[in-house]
Amino acid sequence: MKKQLIESVMKYIFMLAATVSILAVALICAFLFINGVPAMHEIGFFNFLLGRVWAPSDTPQVFGIFPMILGSIYITAGAIIVGVPIGVLTAIFMAKFCPPILYRYLKPATQLLAGIPSIVYGFFGLIVIVPMVRETFGITFGGNGQSIFTASILLGIMILPTIIGVSEAAIRAVPESYYEAAVAMGASHERSVFFVVTPAAGSGIMTSIILGVGRAIGETMAVILVAGNQARMPTGLFRGVRTLTANIVMEMGYAAELHREALIATGVVLFVFILIINVLFNLMKKRGQQL
Amino acid sequence: MKKSIALILVCTLALFLFAACDDGSSEAPAYGNPSQDTPAQDTPAQDAPAQDTSNFDNRREIIVVSRESGSGTRGAFVELTGVEVSADGNTTDMTSPEAVIGNNTNAIMTNVSGDLYAIGYISTGSIDNSIKAVNIDGVEPTPANILAGNYKIARPFIVVTMDGLSPVAQDFLSFIMSQEGQEIVADRYIPVDQSAPAFESNRATGTVVVGGSTSVSPVVERLAEAYQEINTGANIEVHATGSGAGITGAIDGVVDIGMSSRNIRDSEMENLYQQITIAMDGIAVIVNNDNPLTNLTMEEVREIFTGEKTRWSDVH
Repeated sequence: MKKQLIESVMKYIFMLAATVSILAVALICAFLFINGVPAMHEIGFFNFLLGRVWAPSDTPQVFGIFPMILGSIYITAGAIIVGVPIGVLTAIFMAKFCPPILYRYLKPATQLLAGIPSIVYGFFGLIVIVPMVRETFGITFGGNGQSIFTASILLGIMILPTIIGVSEAAIRAVPESYYEAAVAMGASHERSVFFVVTPAAGSGIMTSIILGVGRAIGETMAVILVAGNQARMPTGLFRGVRTLTANIVMEMGYAAELHREALIATGVVLFVFILIINVLFNLMKKRGQQL
Repeated sequence: MKKSIALILVCTLALFLFAACDDGSSEAPAYGNPSQDTPAQDTPAQDAPAQDTSNFDNRREIIVVSRESGSGTRGAFVELTGVEVSADGNTTDMTSPEAVIGNNTNAIMTNVSGDLYAIGYISTGSIDNSIKAVNIDGVEPTPANILAGNYKIARPFIVVTMDGLSPVAQDFLSFIMSQEGQEIVADRYIPVDQSAPAFESNRATGTVVVGGSTSVSPVVERLAEAYQEINTGANIEVHATGSGAGITGAIDGVVDIGMSSRNIRDSEMENLYQQITIAMDGIAVIVNNDNPLTNLTMEEVREIFTGEKTRWSDVH
């Protein structure tokens, strides 16, 4: 009898725990859409999404977030260009080439990279990468070092642990028989790894890239410090840019009325981006299971 | 064999990484760490500043650093310098779209102290030796010059009320304008009355609702804390809602005292009983310590911040 009581009480406690996270997602969704959608409507859906001018302190106010959407996409693409080759090659090395002695230090080092707070990355970027970019490219291309280029490098480093971790697991998950068969047919170690094992881990590697994109697009504190944050259409690789996340966090402090709602609507757009990434992620996972 | 190659490769990479880091930090003092260079100017070693000046290449682009839209400091700065253009009831902030944006005073100061070619603006209360404030039309941004009205980029901190103020609200106002109150103001801003009388409370009790400017509210909050220690029967609520909301709130009777960090418009004053300037806040134009620039005209400030002048050679 007593056991049964505990059983049913515990059942509800577990259920409650499970509902908390679902409730949180639902509440955030509701908050974003209730506050953001009316603002989008008031500004005009296409004026908001495709408007090229963001001037909330002018009269009349202008809210166009197209520059910020482009900014987020450019910086994320840059991070992928920087981070994916390094990350995937590191994962292949760690899974198939790495001597065990080195692995013992390399693995924790990549994991440690994931544990560094993003503000510390940002500060590192501001103090080290920004002056380097300024000195190297400033005279030829102008700009002060806070640019798409700098932010891409920094974000490329920041997504490394995600890409390395997930890719390495995917490569290790490929059955050993694939490798053995390739070697048995006369392929060298390198050839087997690059042309048999890695393609077989393809969907896992794609998953790692999508997770990397999710991390890059949502990054805020590090990007603010190195991107320059100009709310205008991107004008070059060595010029600054503002991302969606930066737009929200920069102006939320003083924003009031429609300006504030427009920032929440910016959050809605970001949320939709993340949703798309998650759907892609799930599709990839399904495809991976079918293979 | 392969393992040893891999090991060597990793070691070289690591070495390269450290070398690169070293490069960055050894370059930094020459460019980005002016606080270490400043004392050199006081010592007889004249070559250090001279070298810095020759380092300054005035053909380089001016890096404009600005605050974000909606910031009170930006609002006051663009209004006072003419960066903001008004026509037919429309106002447009003409700040150069290329301006790097920082969302707090520290961000502006870090940007300017780290970049030889940057220019920005901050509240005069935040000036320290990591950056250099330039004179405007030959006037230094000192408290005395701001108070006398010689330094033009300054804004008042104003409180407004309607007629028939409650005794406790009246008492709080007289505390702000007393010697004790103005001392608290002087901590960060410029007091308007250097010889204010000492405060004597009328011991009235009740609640006072104060609302308005986010720039003014920090100092009013500190005034409220100090006042509530003296008059324990009073309860002061401070809401930071923005200057516009503070003024309309006072007119509508939502708040007892409205706070504003901009001048009160004539149309607003018609409905109000009184406005009191409780402090002044100057906005200083700042450049890197190694920038030889010492003076700008108001017109040059406007041209730099609207992006009409893009090279340092245009103003030197």
